[in-house]
Amino acid sequence: MLLRRRLNLPTAFAGTPPFSAAPKRRMKHISPTQVAVDAPTRAPTRRALAKQQTRLKVLAAARRLFSEQGYEGATIRDIAAAAGMSTGAVFANFTDKSDLFREIMADDMEALTAAMRDAATRGRTAEDAILKIFMAGYTFYKTRLQLARAAFSVSWDKDGGPTLRGMSSSAAFQDLFGEQLNAAVERGELSQEAEVKLRSQMLFDTYLSNFPQAIFEGWSLDALQARARDQIRILLAGARRG
Amino acid sequence: MKADVGPLPGPVPQRRSQKEATRQRVIASARELFDGLGYQGTTIREIARHAGVSVGSVFTTFASKGEILSEVMGARLEPLYAELDRVMPHLRGSTVDRLRTMFAIHFEFEAQHVRLFLSHIAAAYDWSLATTARPYGRTPRLQEMMIETLQRGQAQGDVRDDIDLQEVVDLLMATYAWTYRLVVSAEADTKALIGVMDRQIGLIGEGFAPRT
Repeated sequence: MLLRRRLNLPTAFAGTPPFSAAPKRRMKHISPTQVAVDAPTRAPTRRALAKQQTRLKVLAAARRLFSEQGYEGATIRDIAAAAGMSTGAVFANFTDKSDLFREIMADDMEALTAAMRDAATRGRTAEDAILKIFMAGYTFYKTRLQLARAAFSVSWDKDGGPTLRGMSSSAAFQDLFGEQLNAAVERGELSQEAEVKLRSQMLFDTYLSNFPQAIFEGWSLDALQARARDQIRILLAGARRG
Repeated sequence: MKADVGPLPGPVPQRRSQKEATRQRVIASARELFDGLGYQGTTIREIARHAGVSVGSVFTTFASKGEILSEVMGARLEPLYAELDRVMPHLRGSTVDRLRTMFAIHFEFEAQHVRLFLSHIAAAYDWSLATTARPYGRTPRLQEMMIETLQRGQAQGDVRDDIDLQEVVDLLMATYAWTYRLVVSAEADTKALIGVMDRQIGLIGEGFAPRT
């Protein structure tokens, strides 16, 4: 019983507040004398910490291997070896390769969304702000094109696709375009009938569609910017007032 | 028939036709597997087993999984082009409408094997693939048709003269490919895909329309 409860802990940490609060509260009531007798109760914290470190080590190794060998080329066994641990230890932390990959993508997308939002504030017009969002993305991935390639490959997979696209970080990312368009409508820069939903989806798709040029043809950031500006102009043309 | 060729030594023609038969079997099996399991889910080993040939003989004909997919996709494009060649000259109406028809024909064509088409897109990002084998986006004939349609639009006055037509084509192609995300995320059917694409082409059309 005790063993099972301890094994369940990581799930409880990630779960709803009532569950994750329970072990902490129990810890408070442990007196020093009890600790000696009841050592196993204390173990989870240390274990959880060690586990967290293991996770980070696995994630770093996985990021490197996905970048070097692509999604298909990197195996759990290689990742475990690169992290200096057994495959069992990897599986104790991640259900499978796609789980690992999702975690890496979620981290990147959060960092990128913040960078994009920041870049957008420096744009004066909707066109300008959206172009800055595009460029923040291309600049971010310019140094990690292989990872971007792996992400695209997974996103078109019948199992990987829905999960990757359904992540909350992915949704926040897409919202960026809608936010810019809505703000422009409010400012009166774009018309009330701007079809914000369709337009922001197309802007997002267009942003993604330029990655093959960046990945395979090695386009420079300047070249990507010139192309992106034209694309954004075409997509915004019908929404302009007057 | 091939025995008549003459100077060739005896066993070669037979070996050659055997090789061709293997090739056809591999392509047919691959088409089925890519369609059912997707690009990542399909392995060369599985293709070989399904075709009843050895893994080694698959590799003597094809360098990679992506190359097999390239062949599969290439072979099936002919009927699509034939259909487009038949229909396009008879189309009337605005450039936007003609483009809509053109893409509707595409969606209907891919409808039977949507998963295969998704494999096709996924393979465009395969890390291990040589650029020569990269299957998606190499459709010169199709792009030519779109350029022709847009040029006709310029002649009839509903496409701006000062717009980069290749850029419009790229945007249409990107929009088209990305519309398939709805199959992955929302299990959209052909009718839904065509509906979304029609709206998107309308929006791009606002972008290439002459300024009033």
